[in-house]
Amino acid sequence: MTKVHSILIVEDDDWLAEQHGRTLRAAGYSVDFAPHALAAMDSVDSRQPDVIVLDLLLAGPNAFTLLHELQSHTDLAGIPVILCTNSADQIASEDIEAYGVRQVLDKATMHPDDVVAAVRKVLL
Amino acid sequence: MKGSEGQSDNIQGGLLSGDLPFLVTAAHELKSPLSLVRQLALSLEASTVDSAERDRMLRQIILTSERALRLTTDLSRSSRLEDSIFDLEPINPQQLCEEVAHELTPLYAARGRQIQVASHHRSMLVVANHDLLRRIMLNFGDNALHYTDSSAPVQLRARVHDKGRRIRLGVRDYGPAVPTDTWQRLQDSLGTNTQVLHSRPQSSGLGLYVAGQFASAMQGEIGATRHRDGVTFFVDIDASTQLSLL
Repeated sequence: MTKVHSILIVEDDDWLAEQHGRTLRAAGYSVDFAPHALAAMDSVDSRQPDVIVLDLLLAGPNAFTLLHELQSHTDLAGIPVILCTNSADQIASEDIEAYGVRQVLDKATMHPDDVVAAVRKVLL
Repeated sequence: MKGSEGQSDNIQGGLLSGDLPFLVTAAHELKSPLSLVRQLALSLEASTVDSAERDRMLRQIILTSERALRLTTDLSRSSRLEDSIFDLEPINPQQLCEEVAHELTPLYAARGRQIQVASHHRSMLVVANHDLLRRIMLNFGDNALHYTDSSAPVQLRARVHDKGRRIRLGVRDYGPAVPTDTWQRLQDSLGTNTQVLHSRPQSSGLGLYVAGQFASAMQGEIGATRHRDGVTFFVDIDASTQLSLL
């Protein structure tokens, strides 16, 4: 039986989260949502996701707080993270690889299916 | 290899800087709703969603566009403030709160949130420009939407302040607590620049800056009160003496 990969979407805009979730579910993934970094940490603790799709600017602690937390646990540091942000043009990939970020998606230019392609790529 | 705090500071310093030029902040704030509208439209074009889901996505596009348009209208209005003369008139703040709540209710409902007006039985009047005061409260209401818990309604309230000399109109949300250092930065810059409020990225300062400009044009001022479970953003406006003459 094929394993259904679980994706955690960390996004404070619930409509955008819903949008990514709809696309990923249609592609056969199981999806969980967290509106902020603290909820994401709880979700990671209770059900370790295979991939995290992470917005950068979040309510409360920002994405880097979550990335630091993940990197500080050996069992969580390997979870691939896809950064999905409106600030993609300001990010140098070499700066964020150390945080487990494997892909960066630009919300302003991405196609809805790009999130599926990115998940597939990091799961290879 | 693990990321160091130093690296994080460098990255965040660029992306989350509190000293972004006005235009950059404005562009960033408009990017979010436009990106969402684009994503939804692309999905509608390509996917086979059922009619109920299609209607829901169309509604989201409309409401998101309206929010972005409110912001662009506010920006153009604020840029013309110095050249304009605004009529100040006695306004019932309770009634204005009702109008704002009514206008924002579809957006709140679509996001599964509630907005309500706290009742106040004492008659009050403020001396203000109706459109500017309405826009200030809409800004606060838009801002609160992103940070309030779905179980607690955002509350609009008008109350007598400063021994009756002023009226305070506030919007109380129930969101994540704002860290003390961030709060201090907000207090230092509220309404005077477009500083990003890091723990509340959607409050990136632009809406509050515009609200501050509108308040100043009416000899008012904006402020914020931090709660354990959220924030109240408020505007203080001169009370009208008209009622006392009756």
